Amino acid sequence: MNDLWTNRLSEYLDDELDSVERAALEAHLATCGQCYATLTELRQVVAHAKSLENSEPATDLWPGIAHEIRRERLPERRDRLVRRRFSLSVGQLLAASIALVLVSVFGAWAVLHSRAQSPGGQMVEAPSPAIPEIRPARWKVQSDMAIAELQDALTANEGKLDTATVRVVRENLVIIDRAIEQAQRALRKDPGNTYLNLHLANTMRQKIELLRRANALASQS
Amino acid sequence: MPRQVLEDTLTADSIAADAALAGSGDPSAFERLYRTHVARVHTLVRRMLDADEADDVTQDVFIRAWQKLSTFRGESAFGTWLHRLAVNVVLARRKSVGIERGRFIAGDEPLKDVSGRPHTPELSMDFEEALASLPQGARQVFVLHDVEGYRHDEIARMLGVVPGTSKSQLHHARMALRRHLER
Repeated sequence: MNDLWTNRLSEYLDDELDSVERAALEAHLATCGQCYATLTELRQVVAHAKSLENSEPATDLWPGIAHEIRRERLPERRDRLVRRRFSLSVGQLLAASIALVLVSVFGAWAVLHSRAQSPGGQMVEAPSPAIPEIRPARWKVQSDMAIAELQDALTANEGKLDTATVRVVRENLVIIDRAIEQAQRALRKDPGNTYLNLHLANTMRQKIELLRRANALASQS
Repeated sequence: MPRQVLEDTLTADSIAADAALAGSGDPSAFERLYRTHVARVHTLVRRMLDADEADDVTQDVFIRAWQKLSTFRGESAFGTWLHRLAVNVVLARRKSVGIERGRFIAGDEPLKDVSGRPHTPELSMDFEEALASLPQGARQVFVLHDVEGYRHDEIARMLGVVPGTSKSQLHHARMALRRHLER
């Protein structure tokens, strides 16, 4: 084995030699079994490194993190948020809308539910001005596709759920749809409103989550 | 759109949504981000530093992420942003514990110790253990290049060395580790 060549084997593997060096090394490899064997082992090391898997920490670190972030002074954070809101560009608002679309937790639904209703328990109907539709963005198209697919699946699976569950799911969907409609109306008046974009995206993902959970429940029945 | 593609898109959008919510001060969204990414961050930290530091540094990464979320613009995926932050925290830690640049460059002797052991069954240690036994400089280059996919010019910038040093450290690390592949 020639150290001169051995020390270049990693660069050869990583395709970092120029054509002349590469040709010279390949000529050496054709005659040096030891370098060839080393190259094979190095190749195995690289392949092994790429196949390494991640693992969770032995203990849950979240409580410590949660404790620290609670110590963040809220006024400072609010100040940052205010500054950030005023610095958002249209593109960033669009990105925020895209970002805030789909899936995940169900918990915020209860909050949305209470906000969506008036003190008397009735939904607050906003006026419906004749304002042009906003052109659908990519996230909106994907959301609509996801919702359509999940609703089709739920329609097919509804028979597996008991009547009371179906009624609750339907009632909740009506409430969420109304909240989405309200947010969309408000956004037609003020398309750049950060809060409304967040609210709409959050509401749509709650609808998707509700549909997913209902389908999951049906599939288990 | 195929269902799997749709699911992947929804997952990516869900993470982006949680990043935006966490950036607006929602700790629940941030916890979901933590749960999604903790394994990758903790593993990266554990591989680059000593195992007994991994928990503390991982916590530090997430606390810094919370503090810096208002600067996350969504130009890259959240996971990429968090990963880069984790690397920076690790490298800062490396400096703060007094690992000097000279020691990083001159890491060959411990490497010889690792690679010079006879290959007996009892020493056929787990690849992760072999990785942990490398000197820190070689270990960090190996992890950044071969595991995490950074280029030598990026690694050189991060570590404050020339690309040739990064290449040399990588080669020495690979030469040491080849004896400890599981067979």
